Parts: sequence; structure tokens; C-alpha cells
Amino acid sequence: MMLGFRFSGKLVRIFLCAAAFSACSAFAQDFSTMGLSSVVAVAQNRLQRGEYSAAIPPLEEAISRTKELTDPQKLEILQNCRFQLARALFKTGDSAAGVSVLEDYLKQEPRKKERMALRMMAQGLFDSQNWKQIELVAGRLLDMPDLTKDDRLNANLMLGQAQFQQEKWKACIKARTNKSTDDKAKQVTQVMIVRALVEDENWDELWSWIPRVYRTDSKYDITLNLTVMRAGKARFKQDDSLHALLLYRMVLPREELIDFANGRIAEISKKAGLSELDRKARVKELENIRKLVEELTNLPPYEDEVAFRIGLIYRELKRYWEGYVLFDMLNTKDPDGDIGETSILQLVAILYDLKETARAEERILAYLDERPNGKSARILISTMMRDNLRRETPNPGKVIGLRKYVDGLSPTTDEDELQTTADLHYMMAFGYFMARDYGRSDEQFGEVISDYPNSPVLPDSYYYRGMTHMMQADYQKALDTFENYQGKYEGGEHYSASTFRRAVCLVGLNQTTEAEAVFTEFITAHPDHEFVSEAYSMRGDIEAAKELEDDPETKDVDESATLDRALDDYRKAIEKAVNSGQASYAAFQAAKVYKLEFRWQEIIDLMNEYLNLKKGEANVSEAVFWVGRAQIALGQIDEAVAAYLDAILTFGNDVDQNGVDKIVHELVAIANQRLTDDDRDSLTIKLKLKLTDVDPSAQTLKVRLQMALAYLKGAEASSSLGAELLASQKDLKFVPPIALALMCDAAVEAGDAEEMGRLYDYFTENFEESDDLWHAYRAKTYQFLAKDDLDAAMEIANEALEIYGADTYMGWAQIIKADTLFKQRKYDEAEEAYKLITSVPEWRGPLSAEAMYGMGRCRKASGDLETAHNFFQRTYLLYKAYDDGKWAAEGYLSAAECLLELNREADAIKTWRDMLEEGYVNTLPQAETAKELIKKHGGA
Amino acid sequence: MNKTTLKLAVAGILLTTGMAGAEPLNVEWLLRGGLSWKGQLFGRDGDWIELKRPEDLKPVRVGANTIKELIFEIDLDIEKVSKMVKNREFEQVVATLEKAIDPFTEYSDIPSNLTKYNALLMELYYRTAQYDKSLAISSKIAEDDRNPELQEKSRVYQALALIDGGKPSEADALLAKYGWDQELSGDASPQKLYIAAKLMALKKQYSEAMLLIARVIAFNSSDLEWMQPAEMLCAEIYTELGLYDSAEEVCRQIDVLYKDSPEFDQAQQLKLKIEKLRAEQELEESLESKEA
Repeated sequence: MMLGFRFSGKLVRIFLCAAAFSACSAFAQDFSTMGLSSVVAVAQNRLQRGEYSAAIPPLEEAISRTKELTDPQKLEILQNCRFQLARALFKTGDSAAGVSVLEDYLKQEPRKKERMALRMMAQGLFDSQNWKQIELVAGRLLDMPDLTKDDRLNANLMLGQAQFQQEKWKACIKARTNKSTDDKAKQVTQVMIVRALVEDENWDELWSWIPRVYRTDSKYDITLNLTVMRAGKARFKQDDSLHALLLYRMVLPREELIDFANGRIAEISKKAGLSELDRKARVKELENIRKLVEELTNLPPYEDEVAFRIGLIYRELKRYWEGYVLFDMLNTKDPDGDIGETSILQLVAILYDLKETARAEERILAYLDERPNGKSARILISTMMRDNLRRETPNPGKVIGLRKYVDGLSPTTDEDELQTTADLHYMMAFGYFMARDYGRSDEQFGEVISDYPNSPVLPDSYYYRGMTHMMQADYQKALDTFENYQGKYEGGEHYSASTFRRAVCLVGLNQTTEAEAVFTEFITAHPDHEFVSEAYSMRGDIEAAKELEDDPETKDVDESATLDRALDDYRKAIEKAVNSGQASYAAFQAAKVYKLEFRWQEIIDLMNEYLNLKKGEANVSEAVFWVGRAQIALGQIDEAVAAYLDAILTFGNDVDQNGVDKIVHELVAIANQRLTDDDRDSLTIKLKLKLTDVDPSAQTLKVRLQMALAYLKGAEASSSLGAELLASQKDLKFVPPIALALMCDAAVEAGDAEEMGRLYDYFTENFEESDDLWHAYRAKTYQFLAKDDLDAAMEIANEALEIYGADTYMGWAQIIKADTLFKQRKYDEAEEAYKLITSVPEWRGPLSAEAMYGMGRCRKASGDLETAHNFFQRTYLLYKAYDDGKWAAEGYLSAAECLLELNREADAIKTWRDMLEEGYVNTLPQAETAKELIKKHGGA
Repeated sequence: MNKTTLKLAVAGILLTTGMAGAEPLNVEWLLRGGLSWKGQLFGRDGDWIELKRPEDLKPVRVGANTIKELIFEIDLDIEKVSKMVKNREFEQVVATLEKAIDPFTEYSDIPSNLTKYNALLMELYYRTAQYDKSLAISSKIAEDDRNPELQEKSRVYQALALIDGGKPSEADALLAKYGWDQELSGDASPQKLYIAAKLMALKKQYSEAMLLIARVIAFNSSDLEWMQPAEMLCAEIYTELGLYDSAEEVCRQIDVLYKDSPEFDQAQQLKLKIEKLRAEQELEESLESKEA
């Protein structure tokens, strides 16, 4: 680029007119014969007539004759002739020769027109772009005394431009070129200074210049824009984000620059009446602008790249929203292009930075719906999955919801895409795992294992696949998988944990001896592992169970010794616990063992020890529960009741304190079994008073106190409270598990399938550890039954049985299981299921009556009337008092039906008559049926 | 001057007797027909004003509605005012301007060269948080279509004065009236986006406000008139969103780019505010951790 600072036409004219010429002129071809004064006069004459070419020969002749002379007068003529010759040469367009003459002029004295000579020389050098010389000339000019303001300004402009062209950035900034009063010159100097400041990386001064430049048309200077863009890129590469940003922001779009340049071309082209010099300058300027426009036009589109980089910098500088709108614009403009695709990734990342998760997910899903196989699809799915898995409260549902997009991805051979796809299956597996859908989780881990052998998540997939088997209680498969993992990845991240898991699987497979050995192996090999506390606890469980089991293998074992070993393990488990859960489990398991041996004081000591050791993390309410239990056993009833009441009031408003619920149950049990009527009434009054005093904001405590009072009043009050809570507690967050359980029962009672489902979901999600959780399983089972989904009902009942076993309160699950099999006409299986109930001591009582009756129904439905009759007969003979005679009554009727079908009408009538004589059943509605049947079959 | 106007003007000319009071004001008056005179203004009586040319013996009464424009001789050192504005001595400028145009306020309903001074006052009242005063002037200029550029500018200040004066529903109505609540995409004009962002921020809809102000910054970086206030507003909204690092970064850029500007001063204030907010946040966090 050439930034042309010419002397204005006016200046040149003034300076030419000012040149005094004293000699006279004459025009002749042969000057050798003429005297010096004649030669000079000819030259002068011709110059005055504007015949510059013709003036050259006489001037050269005069110079040649005088150059060796030393006479002062002759020297003055010589210098004058030199000056005029230079002027003539300039006028004829031979500025190079003019410069050469001026050099001679400037070397010698006298130089009466030195200032003018210097300006002319600078002009000549300007044409040849000899910037080094121009700098010297301008410097010499500036050293001259008594310069006019204009002269000084012009000299500075020359100096600045010469230094600028030589890339002497610092020097040219100092040249004070910014004082020009001419708008165009001012504009060009501004551009020059800004460029120099950019090149010199003089940011402070640059930013003070920017407002000035950006308020004028200088901002459209193409070279300036290109320089700024280059500087921005350089700063960007050097991680100087702030300056890169501010530089990039100065770059104007190409179209704007070209439009302005074309406007300028049109404006310049229109100018008329220019001098030769100005015409030349115009040609040069036009050439220059056209060249720049061409250069700009040939550049690949830079706007989007610049916008993209600005976006990146904004993000890096945490100016998230500015980055967001830029990436949004780029993505909308060209969604399929590279920049558009990268922009969607950036803008989604920004939205996550801003915690604008809903907006981020909306953009991701919109992208996936529009371009399910877009370049960014895999990364976007991965981003959304990762966020949902890693957030404080993970949302596996959303991860699973992305399944259709993962399944819709086209196969790929690109290694990066393969890795990402493996990650997607891996995360999907975790989504299912968290949602407790272990079957699908297993399937997704399986995909990684079978299809992505090079994936970094392969080893983890093996391990976690083992976990999915374990969670599905498929302990053999889990064991095999953990062994497989250990075989493949010795020294792998999960190697030690796999040992622990193997032991757990062996427990699940009931191979307790082997399990104990593996736990010991684990404890020995990894004494500081995070699972070692659990290993101690589980080994303790095995030891403790030896005492309880009637196992021939453990018959010879010294029982007290095994319990001591168990207690020893639990104590180590407490010591090694890395979280409160591990410590609590061990402490309360130990308490159970002490209870077996009636070592009540030791329970109290252990709980105090546990509370001291775990301080803030301890499950205080559970510990208080155990202390209270021990105190009761030691006969310290009042102390226990006081401690329980205190614990309820202290911890009862914390919905997560499961121990409080146990305390409520225990308190009610003590009140019913161990307190006198007066003491019981006193306790009731205390609870009522506390309930009245409860701060209205302490909603959980209020519910717990209501529960305690209702339980004290009896089943009817409890049931009524359950129904009341079901109707009033729409927001469950303050409802403790003990009340949720009651609400589950109320929902079953009311046949409200929707509530059964809602309560199950909330209960299982929030209180997995609650002892009352089985109520949720019961509700869920009844919900499936209400929908007539027998398979699902069977599945959930089985799951509940697997979790809770044959405990007293779990009989409902076995009955439902048997009833469902019966409905499915699987009579043999149903009978087996009923039979199981009669064989479990915990289920003796009404459940056995129902089961016996069920067995009869199975036989009757199979056509085995004799056996069916026997079962019905046993029902009314053995269980006549249960359920207010309900099963006995049904037994009578069904037994008679069998007899009728066996054509033993008389026996049938006798059975009905026996029924009417039986005090347990003869007032029930079934008795009326019996009377009608007797009448119908001719009985008296 | 057409005949009707001339008749009206002449008809209004009455010899005055009772209008006396303050010092006469030097003025040039342009009548609707195009005629103009220089002379003195003696006072006002409702719809009539008293004017006197040097050649007249006594002042004459002219109907205010016949005057196209009054050009007052205002005693104001423009250079001094410019310097004060540059030095951001806004309160002093306001006082100086108010004093300078005070003698003419009686004629503020007649088009005059006071408009440009009023326009400056409108800006300065806004800058000095005298929003009602700024609104009073901007509302008046907004209805004057003689200078479309000034009219547009006054509408902007009208909106800004309503927003900063804490009148969201009136601002809503005004934006709807001017159609400034529509099409707020990246292509929208920076002032429209800026005003809409301010209004959103006033309504505490900070994310939406941020989205709009980010558009001003991202797509109008060479428009210094709007970039400066936009960056300042951006820093303020980041602060409201609790994104203190982001707000401080914007302040840092304001420090670098807009030295000697009102935004520079505001950024210094904001940095102090952020420092305080951070300290409060840290205190709260430490209390929470102690409680936990």
C-alpha cells in the first residue's frame, strides 16, 4: 500500500513562483558559444514561458560551466541553476533526475531555497518510494529553523509515512502526524497510527485511538481491517484473549468494506480539473483501492471465522451470553457447515456453563430431531447424557429418553465416532442402572463389550455388567462376570472391588463358606479399600448366621465363639467405615447380635461408642432406638419411653431420620405391652400436648406425632389417619416413611390405583432403606392387580419376597402370588404357593386358613374333588376362628359343593347343618346361603 | 409570506400597554410566511407576545401561533460547557444550562433554538438520574417532527427515563407504541435491543435481558454510541445473575476501552459493589458450612 502524501498543488505552485531567477533568458540550440549570463537568461526565459524541457539544456550548460568554480557569485548562479534544473526535471516527469540534481544542490552552499529543495526532493523520492531517503530529508527539513506550522506538519507527515513504510512503528507513532487539519490527511494518518499501534502491540494507546477511528470512515480502510484481523489471530494464537477479542471486534464485514471502497472509487473517479500531479495521484489511489478490493474479494470468507473466534473468546472470558448469541447466529446461518456444526456444540456448552439446562436440552433435542445423523449428534447426545448422570440429583429418565437417538445413529467406521458411540451405550447402561432397569442396563453394557472392543470403557463395562447381574440376583452370572473381569484385567481399576463383589455373589448363592473365605482374602489384600468395612460386616453376618442356622456343617461350631467373631468383625467394620452408612450398618447388626445373647448393657455401650465415633454422621435416632430397646429389656421402661419421646421431638422433623419411625413403632409397642393403663394415658396426653405445641412449619414432626397417637389408639384410628393423609398430602416431601406406609395401605383400601403408583414411585425413590418400604411394594402389586396385569403383579410380588423374605408382614405377597397363579389356571403351582404359606411359621394364623382354603380351590378346579373336600374340611376344622370365621364359612360351603359334585347330597346337607351349628360362622352371611341350600336340597 | 398569515400577524399587532416586567430579550423571529426580523422580546400575555424591532417606536403584539421559530440570543459559553461535559461534570452543566435558558422558559411552547439546549438537558437530566425532568423534555421533543433525528433520539430517552425511573408498565406501553417490542433478533437496531434489555432487567427477567444485550454487543461492536452503555448494562445484568467473574471481565474491558466516559465511572462503582457482594457471599457460605 502507498499512502500518498503529496505536497498540495497550491504548495508546489507557491514554491515554484517563489523561486527567484535573476538571469535573463535566450533560446538557442548551441549554448557553448554563448556567454554564461546569456545561457542563464535563455533558461530563465524558457522557464517563464513554461517550456521546461527546453529550459533543461541551457541549465545543464550553465551548471557544467560553473560547477568547478569557487567564486561566490558564480556559486550562487550554479546553485540557482541546479534548483531550477531540478524543478524543470520534476515538471517534465523525470523526478529521479530531479532528485539527483537536488542532492548536489543540497550538498553545497549557498542554499537559499533549501527548504523548498528539501520538499521537492521528498516529492521526488516519494515517487520512487525511497522511504529511507524521505525519512532523512524530512528529518533535515524538521531541523530547519523558523518552519511555518504547515511546513512542520507536512514534514511530520512525510517523516511519519516514511517511517511507517519502513515499519518503524514506534518512530512513526511519535512523528505527530495526527495534527493535520485536512480531513483526508487526518483520516489516512489515523489509519496509519492505528496500524502502527497494532503492529507495535501498543494496546493502551491503541484503545484510546479506537473511538476516534471508529467515529470516522477510517474504520472502512481495508488494510486496517486486514491488519487488525491478522493481529487478532496472532493474539488469539498466543492466548491473549482480551486483546484478540478487542481486535477482532474491530473487523468489519467484507461486504461493508467493499461497498465503501466502491463508493470511494466512484467519488474519486468523478473529480475533474485536476493537475497532472493530482491526476497521477488519483490514478495511483484508484489502482491501490482496486488492488485492495481484489485482495479482499479473493480472501476466503472471514466473517464467520472471526465471529466464531470472538464467540470462543467470549466464552473463555466467561462472557457467556455474548458467545451464545454469536454461536446461535452461526448455527442458524449455516447449520450444516463446519462452523455451524461446531457452533451448536459451543452454544450448548455455554448453556450448560450458565446452568440453562432446559434451554440446552431443548436445543439438543431440536438438533437431534432435525439431524438425527448430523455431525454433532453423537457429541450432543453424550453431553446431555453426561449432564443428567452427573448432576446432584441424576435424571436417568432423560438419559433413557435418548435411546431412540442412539439407536438411530448410522453405523460408522470413524474411530472417534466409534469411541463416542461406545460411551453413549455405556452412559445409557448407567441410565438404566440408576432407573433400576438392570436388564436393559445389562444389555447396553453388553453392546459395549460385543461391538466396541477398543473402547476405553470396555473394562468398566465388564465390571458394571457384573453389577447388573448382581442387582437382578443372578448371582452365578454375576460371579462369572466378575471372575471374567479379574481374568482379563489384573490390576484393573475394579480388580479389588471385584473380589468383594465375588464374595457378595457367593453369599447370594448361599455358598457362605466360600464367601467367608473370599471376604477374608479381600480384607487381607485390601485392608484400606472403601468396601472393607462392608466386607467385615458381611463376614460378621455370616458368622452371626452360623449360630442361627440349623446347618449340619455348622453344628460343631462353638456358637458363642462365632458370635464373638461376628461382633469383632462389626467393630472393625465401624472402625474402617468410610461413610456413615457402613458404620451404621455394622453398629446395628452388632446390636442385633447382642440382642440374641440378651447382652443389653453391651448394646447401650456399643451405641454410645458408635455415637461418639461418628458424631455428626451417626444415625442418632436408630441408635436411640437400640438404647431404648436395651433399656426396656433391662426394665428401665420410663427411661426408654423418655428417651424415645425426646428422640422423636429432636429428630422427628427430619424426614430422612428412619430411626424415628422405628422409635414410633417401638414406643407404641412398649405402651401396649409394658405400660400400665395410667402410664399409657399419660403418654397419650404427652404426645397430644406436644402435637399442640408443634411449630406449624415442622410438618414432618407433626405427622410423626399424629402417627404415634393413631397407633396408640388402634388399627381403626391408624386406618382413618392413613385415609386422611392420602387425601391431604399432595406434596409428599414432608411425609416420613412411616406415614407413606400408612398412605399406601389407605390407597389399597380405597382401590385408588393412581395413588398406589405415585406412592410407590416416591417411596422407593426416596426411602430405599426404610423398614416400611414393603407397603409400597404391596401398593404397587395391587395397582397391577387393579389393572388386571397379572404378570406384572407376580413380578413385583416376587421382587418384594426376594427383598423381604418370609417375614410375618410379607404373607400378603405369597398369597397374591398363589392367587394370581390360580387365576392363571396354574393350579399345581398355585397349590405349591399356598402350601408354602402353611409351612412358614411366621405366616401361621389367618394366612394359613386362607392358604388351606386356596389349596382346596386348586384341587377342586383340577377336578380332584376328594382332596379338595379334605382341604376345605381342614380349613373349617382347623382355622374356624381366623378372620372372624370367614375362611371356615367358605370352607363349609366349598366342602359341601364338592360333596354335591361327588353325588353325596346327604353329606353335603350334613355339612351345611354342621355349619349352622358352628358358633364361629352361623351368624355370617354365608350361613344364609347354607340355609337356602338345605332348603333347595330337601333338608329340613 | 402569504396574505392570510400576514393578515393574522398584522391583526395581532397591538400597541402594548400593560405587559411589562423582566429585561427585554434579544431575539430573531421567523413568521410562518418566511419573513424574519431581529429585535427584542418584551413579554408574553397568553397567546400574544410582545416584540419590538429597532425601528419601531413601541413593541407590537404578535400571535404566538404565527411564529414559526424564535431564535434567542442565549448567553452560554459553549466551549466551557463542552469541556464540562467532557469532564463529566454533569451537575454543573445542568445548572449552567438551566440558568442560561431560564429567561426563555415562558416561550417553550413556541418552536425555537432552545430545542437543542433542551435536548442536551434531556440527556443530562437522564445522566444525573432526574428521570421525570428528562421525560418531560423527551416527551415534548418526541412529538416534534421538525428534526427526525432529534425526534428519534428523544424517543430513546423517553423510554430510558421511564425504565430507569422504575415505570415498567408505562415503558411497556411506550415500546409497544413505537413498535420497539417486536422483532428483537440479532438484526434489530442496537438502541431497540438495548432499551428492551433494560426493560427486561427492570422486570428482573435477567436471562432474557442478557440475551438481548448480548445481541447489541455481539452484532454492533463498531457502533460505539451503543456499545458503551450496552457493555455497562451487560456487566450489571451479569452481576444480578450472580456471575461475578463475567461482570468483572466486562468491567475490565470497559476500563480498557472507554476511559474518561460515564461508563468508566459506573464500572468502578460496579466493581466495588461486586466486591461487597462477594464478601457477603463468602460470609454466607462460611456461616452455612459452620451450620452444616
